[in-house]
Amino acid sequence: MGKRLLSILMASAALGGVAEAKTVIHVMHQGDPGWVATYGEIAKRFEAANPDVDVELIYAPHDAYNEKFSAAVMSKQLPDVMELDAPFLANYVWSGYLQPIRPLVDKDVIGDMTESNIAQGTYPIDKDLYAVGLTDSSVVLYGNKKYLEAIGARIPKSVDDAWTREEFEGYLEKLSKLDGVKWPIDTFRGYGIKTEWITYAYGPILQSAGCDLIDRKTWKSVGTLDSDPCVEALTMMQKWVTNRWVVPQSSGTNQFFAEGHPAALALGGHWFYAEAAASMKDDIVVMPLPKFGPRGASPNGTWIWGITTASEHPDIAGKFVSFMLKDKLYRDYAREDSGYPGLKSFAADSPLYAAGGPMAVAFEQASKTAIARPPHPAYPAITSAFMGAVDEIFNGGDAKAALSKAAEKIDEDIEENDGYPPFDEQQ
Amino acid sequence: MSDLAIPTLQAKVKSERSALGSLRMVQTASILVIALLIVSPLFMLLIASLKDDRFQILADMGSFRAFWVSSPTLSNFAEIGNLSGELAFGRYLVNSLVILALTVGAGLIVNSMAGFVLAWGSLRGRALILSLVIALYVIPQESIIMPLVIMVSRAGMTDTFAVQIVPWVASPLYIFLFYQFFAQLPKELFEAAEIDGASVFRIYRSIFLPLSLPALATVSILMGIESWNQYLWPILVTQTDYARPIAVAIATFFGQDSIYWDRAMAASVLMMIPILALYLAFQRWFVSSFVGSAVKG
Repeated sequence: MGKRLLSILMASAALGGVAEAKTVIHVMHQGDPGWVATYGEIAKRFEAANPDVDVELIYAPHDAYNEKFSAAVMSKQLPDVMELDAPFLANYVWSGYLQPIRPLVDKDVIGDMTESNIAQGTYPIDKDLYAVGLTDSSVVLYGNKKYLEAIGARIPKSVDDAWTREEFEGYLEKLSKLDGVKWPIDTFRGYGIKTEWITYAYGPILQSAGCDLIDRKTWKSVGTLDSDPCVEALTMMQKWVTNRWVVPQSSGTNQFFAEGHPAALALGGHWFYAEAAASMKDDIVVMPLPKFGPRGASPNGTWIWGITTASEHPDIAGKFVSFMLKDKLYRDYAREDSGYPGLKSFAADSPLYAAGGPMAVAFEQASKTAIARPPHPAYPAITSAFMGAVDEIFNGGDAKAALSKAAEKIDEDIEENDGYPPFDEQQ
Repeated sequence: MSDLAIPTLQAKVKSERSALGSLRMVQTASILVIALLIVSPLFMLLIASLKDDRFQILADMGSFRAFWVSSPTLSNFAEIGNLSGELAFGRYLVNSLVILALTVGAGLIVNSMAGFVLAWGSLRGRALILSLVIALYVIPQESIIMPLVIMVSRAGMTDTFAVQIVPWVASPLYIFLFYQFFAQLPKELFEAAEIDGASVFRIYRSIFLPLSLPALATVSILMGIESWNQYLWPILVTQTDYARPIAVAIATFFGQDSIYWDRAMAASVLMMIPILALYLAFQRWFVSSFVGSAVKG
């Protein structure tokens, strides 16, 4: 009896030992129910392929992701792997939260990255890669073919023949008078000011008009964000709003393909295509973003994966990231969601974005006009100040005053952080 | 003269009654309008949860179509029920109920005891302590949330039920509410029990607590709503679905690119039911508490 008890105890101890021997990695992510379920499945598959590893997923809702991240930093509970929004990368690396990912992720994954994907994961100071993603992103101009034909609009087929500002505003005016059109354009004000949308989608309008959110050499915003081209660009957008050409914030984000198709154009993200095309069938056309000034500009950057400096198992974390980016389920779900390719193999497998595909022009923008949001540690301050200014301007505020206030706020943040060295030495 | 006076009086009474009747009708109509205004968002929520097209829900908002569903369906509720793993709503709902019950249960004991001691206890500096308690009430939760996160993580409480209960059990507002209630009860009650040899705890437990049903009901409802609606705190201090409440689960439907209004509305209806039940259960005492405080001035 005693021997049996002893052997049971030894067996339990041994089992306990086996259980304890498992390495646990924590993966923090955001996303809607589809993504949560997908990541859950990927974690299970990784565990099945690596029986000595447990993957603990930490979900943080999109609108509280930054707060959750701050709490994790303060309580010294940073995960091993984390999903992060690309423009925040510089801030995280500068703060010491992320480690170079190149030595940790499979070489074939790194070699598979598109140029814009490398750009979104690269820290400008050491030019090292700190994050990698299956996808990237862009914004295009969606159009209702019937309406555009009714006003005799030219439909551009590539980035090189994008509409000029004059053409674009002329079409808006014509569309505003066309029967059936309630609003000429949806600029997705419905996303509100709590997401990155305003900086992400409207920033390129400023860049196209000949200015920027901040000077990328001197890292000063005063004199750039409140310069004449920026004031002019925001005044132009304010005019669209006051002319009632833009779908108001309260009307949501589907007026382009809602019943009766009340909006004729939509300045929308690549992710909008799947839903819009399913509803509008052949009535949808995808066009490059218009040129509002001397050059074309489009956004890039999305949620990508990094490995934190707090990780005690960076090798396993890297293995997980590699596994995830190659996983069929992940790719299938991303493709269904009209995922914008960030890996060449994924691009080859995405007929939507291939030459001749309905979203080919979006992929063309990545190499011709994409401009990353300012890769600077002050980015959280930059985006917050800019979004506040745009909101104020759209609600009737003076463009010059609002942009000057925002530019001052950005410069104050940079000064308070002593120029975020070594960014202050960058010229 | 008297012959003439009677019909005049009758006419006067009749006209006054009719005026009174009209006034009542106006009053009733006004109350109905106000009630409709108050209930309409809840009604809209319920109607939206029965629509199966999330874009239609959004398109209907802002018009009377928001209050009408031509072909109601329970598919949103079914979809929520079918979610599993990290999104199992049943789990989140049970978590929320456990957190609510334990927070309110512990809160009633701790806050009522503190209120009683401040009202009738013999400790020194009661007035000062009371002033401090009131002063604490004005500190916004946001300003202490990050230090609190650090404290609970150092205490190893992350991702537990306790971390969502313990910090919110004692509350300056509820201590003050109980203090006010207990302080209004007659001094003779306390003295008589004391003469009979009852200890302070016995006086609290056997005499004052049973008399404080309206205060208990008020605190239960207010505390229950507060606990039930906690959102940011659970996100900051929990990692998995083990102890996370339903408010966090609903946030899943508000994604980066899309908002799943259909399922969010259905989940919100489910979330509303327990707190509505709590309110209905305690409503009688809750109302009498407010009426009582108004009468007592």
